[in-house]
Amino acid sequence: MSTALPAWSEPFAADHRADLRRMAPFERIDRSWAFGDGAADGVVVAVVDSGVEGDHPAVGGALRESVRVELHGDDAQIVPDEPIDAVGHGTACAGIIHGLAPGATILSVRVLGADNRGKGLAFATGLEWAIEHGASIVNLSLSSRSESLFATFHDLVDRAYFANVLLVCAANNVAVASYPSLFASVVSVAAHDVRDPDVWFYNPRPPVEFGAYGLDVDVAWKAASRIVATGNSFAAPHITGLAARVRATHPGATPFEVKTILAATATATG
Amino acid sequence: MTGAPAGPDPLVPTLHAVAVRVEAARRLVPPAGTAVLRSIVEATAALFGAEAASLALHDPATGRLVFQVAAGEQGQAVVGLAIGSSEGVAGYVFSTGQPLALSDVARDARFGREAAEQTGYVPRSLIAVPLVDDVGILGVLEVLDKRGDGAFDLRDVELATVFARQATVAIRASRIERDTAALLRAVLVAVDGAAPADSAADPEGAALDALIAAEVARLDADGDDPLWAIADEIARLRTTDPGQLELVRDLLAVLVRRAERGRLGRARSADAEAR
Repeated sequence: MSTALPAWSEPFAADHRADLRRMAPFERIDRSWAFGDGAADGVVVAVVDSGVEGDHPAVGGALRESVRVELHGDDAQIVPDEPIDAVGHGTACAGIIHGLAPGATILSVRVLGADNRGKGLAFATGLEWAIEHGASIVNLSLSSRSESLFATFHDLVDRAYFANVLLVCAANNVAVASYPSLFASVVSVAAHDVRDPDVWFYNPRPPVEFGAYGLDVDVAWKAASRIVATGNSFAAPHITGLAARVRATHPGATPFEVKTILAATATATG
Repeated sequence: MTGAPAGPDPLVPTLHAVAVRVEAARRLVPPAGTAVLRSIVEATAALFGAEAASLALHDPATGRLVFQVAAGEQGQAVVGLAIGSSEGVAGYVFSTGQPLALSDVARDARFGREAAEQTGYVPRSLIAVPLVDDVGILGVLEVLDKRGDGAFDLRDVELATVFARQATVAIRASRIERDTAALLRAVLVAVDGAAPADSAADPEGAALDALIAAEVARLDADGDDPLWAIADEIARLRTTDPGQLELVRDLLAVLVRRAERGRLGRARSADAEAR
């Protein structure tokens, strides 16, 4: 029932999906061509979040490096970090990505835990580090509302695009400005209401272009635990995992082309 | 003060005017304090058919999130708990602005134990949403344990998010009221130099409140200022039958129009005299 879904998820509801129909310009693109063997070997994915618990079984040893942002006044620095997660959220995202793309290696960029006033700056600094340190895809299940950092995020998103780095961002649940999920070159994701990781939808009407599995997801959490979680921030890593497979199978594909392939292989809407 | 004899500070009349407005506002709407927060958590629990709800606000002085109020018997243990502003589920939501819903929280013993150690209560399911408006994030609202069998769904998350936004507006309004009174106290002390000798001995600011009361009493004594009578009458309207409020509103509109005409008339005659 469409009435049971929030605004950003509404286009993906069962009785609205017919509206997602459009011309099919990529008929020869199917999932087996797009994803190859599905292992995503060698792709580097950065998780900018609350940290990743390196020895969590769901992460399967895929964590290659952990850093965190340290703030000193207006100065932000990246320092090495332990493979830990103060919340569990980053581990949840990493676990989803590893489940879909087991050959991918993960970089954890912990941007939480700094002084709250600097959180937007910490986030931007962490994103910049990920772009410059070999990430092919960056999963951003968080966003900043800081208007003062609008230009900074805009610049970072453009730099990512020109550096061939794909940014996958969770949409904010309410219609408030949130960066970088509202910028055009990123892949913006909301949750749909189908409990199936193999189901994702493409919405030709931005800003939120993809609907993915984010309702009642069984995820890894801190202290080697698991919980069931709901939110757009669990939908984004499903798209990140799929994008990692595409990038492994088609290393020459640009962020724009990866987005196109994900749209072309999205679940048919009737 | 040294040097020139102290004349009346030109700021004082302005402060008087501010004091009048603040006091009028206080009479019209009594200070809400934690009543606003309490009504928010109670409404939250009722709205979502939840066993409990709790509300944590960020304390800029300590940088921590402090649980202020809770609804529901189970939720009370959390009141007073202070956590790091990016710790745990509430900290994550506060730091990122991303709402979350978790269910089967108690299923995993490790996670459940940690939560229980902090709050003495392990909910089966919860929604945590930011208390956010256009200005920024004030804290986190949590809805705990939906009654019956169901878990929270995506729609619940959105409704809680929208409701929290409204709640934030209410909290911010009650803070402005509190902050205005505090600001006025500070300015009166600065201008009149009437601070208590040892402010540490008067942490509640009772002496300053007395100072404000004296200011207002002096204004009251100015005599026939009709403002107080109107403020008190309007305050009484709070208990009036809503049907009669329409009539009162119309009457007030007439009064405002007459006052406008009077002011224009005075301005014209003053203008004429000047010529």
